[in-house]
Amino acid sequence: MKAISFAGALTLATAAFAGDSGAPKLPLGLSPQLYQLTVPAPPTPAQVALGERLFNDKRLSADDSVSCATCHDPAKAFADGKPQAVGIKNQVGQRNSPTVLNALFLATQFWDGRAGTLEDQAKLPILNPIEMGMPSPEAVVAKVRAIPEYRDGFKQLNGREATYDDIASAIAAFERTALAGNSRFDRFIAGDSKALSAQEKRGWALFNGKARCNTCHAGNAISPLFSDQKFHNIGIAAHKQDFVQLATEALRIVRAGDEQQIDRLALETKFSELGRFLVTRKENDIGSFKTPTLRNIGVTGPYMHDGSLTTLWDVMDHYNKGGVPNPFLDGGMQRLGLTEPEIDELVAFMFALTSEDFQALEKKELARQRARKNNRPERDTAVAMGKKGHLGDLAPNPDIKNPAEMGLYGPIANPEK
Amino acid sequence: MHVRNKLGLAALGLGLGLGLSAWQTASADSSNPQHRVPRSSDGDVVIALCDGQTTLEVEGVKDPSSISREKAQAISDELMTAWRKKNPDARWDPPTRLVAQANPPRPPPASSAPVKAGGQTASSDPDEAARRAGANVQDGHTYGAFSARDEAIWKASAEQAVKEGHRVFHDAKTLGSTVAISCDMCHPDGSNTHPETYPKYQVQLGRVALLRDMINWCIENPVRGKPLAEDDPRMKAMEAYLYAQRKGVKLEYGKH
Ligand code: HEC
Ligand code: HEC
Ligand code: HEC
Repeated sequence: MKAISFAGALTLATAAFAGDSGAPKLPLGLSPQLYQLTVPAPPTPAQVALGERLFNDKRLSADDSVSCATCHDPAKAFADGKPQAVGIKNQVGQRNSPTVLNALFLATQFWDGRAGTLEDQAKLPILNPIEMGMPSPEAVVAKVRAIPEYRDGFKQLNGREATYDDIASAIAAFERTALAGNSRFDRFIAGDSKALSAQEKRGWALFNGKARCNTCHAGNAISPLFSDQKFHNIGIAAHKQDFVQLATEALRIVRAGDEQQIDRLALETKFSELGRFLVTRKENDIGSFKTPTLRNIGVTGPYMHDGSLTTLWDVMDHYNKGGVPNPFLDGGMQRLGLTEPEIDELVAFMFALTSEDFQALEKKELARQRARKNNRPERDTAVAMGKKGHLGDLAPNPDIKNPAEMGLYGPIANPEK
Repeated sequence: MHVRNKLGLAALGLGLGLGLSAWQTASADSSNPQHRVPRSSDGDVVIALCDGQTTLEVEGVKDPSSISREKAQAISDELMTAWRKKNPDARWDPPTRLVAQANPPRPPPASSAPVKAGGQTASSDPDEAARRAGANVQDGHTYGAFSARDEAIWKASAEQAVKEGHRVFHDAKTLGSTVAISCDMCHPDGSNTHPETYPKYQVQLGRVALLRDMINWCIENPVRGKPLAEDDPRMKAMEAYLYAQRKGVKLEYGKH
């Protein structure tokens, strides 16, 4: 009867606001509301074209060997598949390269949120000595102005010679077109009940239930990132550090608000493990990192800020035992008591978050991770099941039933039709 | 009148104190008594109303899938006329006296979105930057460090649920109707569903019902679909929609 029933025919309001918002047509599952909230003005095609060239151009680095795409490879879902990023002269940093897909929607950039915008973010890797290694903004500007295609491009775009801000804006404009949706999960939510397997559906139910992932990796139609964009200590950094000692040392060194110094400390030194603390210098933030998006998670391993977990099974083992105890562990971390089949279900669900473009990569990655399924350094079943250890948390409740098994997430045993 | 074979069982469960848990985990099928519809001697489609009593034989229609939206509306109107005749004193608001409307979702314009224009620079003090950005920069408190962005997302999320509920309520196909009937045909804009009166004893069900129980009852008849699981996203969306339509109306559980 009402026009609205047509607008919503694809459900989830994906298309509903496109008309009045100026948001471009977004892939299935992404949210025009979030786009409006996070994108000041949709980028123009000219900005995007220039930005894409810069993103892929190794000449932005000191020795013409590394581009943004080296560590954020569009063919690898804008990540690099390495535990820690490798910059010029094969220098290895402290942190894992996150995907740039959907970075336009993030509240802050970097694992510790030290940059507020994509523009702000893009200026740092170019100057970081172990990433792209350019000596100064002036040197970057001089180099770019000397390349005819960029000289003309920026002249046409802004009517003047490029500045460092212009370069960053163009790159950010391109990044605002790096969108990821259209996964099996999105088709399921849009009403195709057969888009997910029974195993994947049970994983989705566990994600929101017994496994408690939604506490931090919340996803819904408006904010479909599977991230709360907050910072939590889940005990990854505790693998190797004495936090208190490290924080005391750091307090003597960190200069308030010097973003470039923080960038270097985060990528080049042991202080990396302090995470958000480097930015806020607040005790509660010690060892906490931004909750990453889980879209395309299956194809953007290895995992965590330091790339220390190799497979999604390792990730599940980490969560199942309640993380690694440390004085700053987030209260949301507790032992989960997940069984082996439940772990498989959660992993299957996470693979279902892969965008259709990366299907081939997903197959390859799934096979690779599966081959390691019996090599599980993080697994500690006795702790996970509450048979050993005192973490001060609630013991896992073996009686919690998977709501999916009770049919609460739609037909599973006997699919419709 | 109609057989309600599961009714006794459901009541017994509660009476014996088998308890809340049995009630909460019971699947949709066993928690609602069935609404059996009499057969037509000519094999015509028969449609029953939410009251559990009124029925209508759709003359000459044997294939429910052939019913169009227009036809379905006519069937609904006819059922309603019969029901109004039987219940002249029923508390049924005329369509003109519409209930309080929830505000339609209005996403904030990009210009006022909490986006930082410049971002921090090497010379900005993080505490000062945090202050300028509202609480957008988490400052030692993971839980409670909520920003304008968070609040905008919450608001839009709630509105989206309401909007989705509006869609489901108006869409026979999504409701799983086999006879092209949707809820709005008798409840324009969600009127006369009285969500603010639940929980209350419902005679049709022979027990205390929540809004979702009544929604499911109506999905079985007159909509002629399969009842939804309590946690089905469509059920949640319809509850969101019906409650939102009554924004500002006093909560009065148990009211008839
Ligand atoms: C040497 C590898 C490398 C290069 C080159 C590189 N990055 Fe990164 N990128 C990383 C790493 C590692 C991080 C995470 C660092 C951190 O959080 O401390 C990162 C983080 C980011 C983020 C934040 C994403 C998020 O989830 O918070 C964006 C956006 C990004 N890079 C874009 C770029 C752009 C644009 C360029 C080129 C100007 C670039 N990167 C060059 C390795 C690299
Ligand atoms: C207390 C908040 C919290 C909870 C609960 C939580 N996560 Fe995380 N998750 C994080 C944070 C923070 C990180 C990044 C941590 C780091 O790198 O130190 C992360 C990282 C991850 C990563 C790696 C992402 C990447 O890009 O490397 C995966 C996968 C993941 N979580 C899945 C899950 C699953 C599955 C669950 C439920 C079993 C879960 N998380 C529960 C906060 C949480
Ligand atoms: C053919 C007309 C018709 C259709 C279609 C219909 N209803 Fe009803 N509904 C009624 C009537 C008549 C009553 C009052 C029954 C009574 O009081 O015994 C009612 C009662 C209700 C009530 C209880 C109201 C109260 O005062 O407590 C709810 C809730 C409800 N309907 C929801 C729905 C939903 C949801 C749908 C769609 C799935 C739907 N109805 C479809 C006619 C209809």
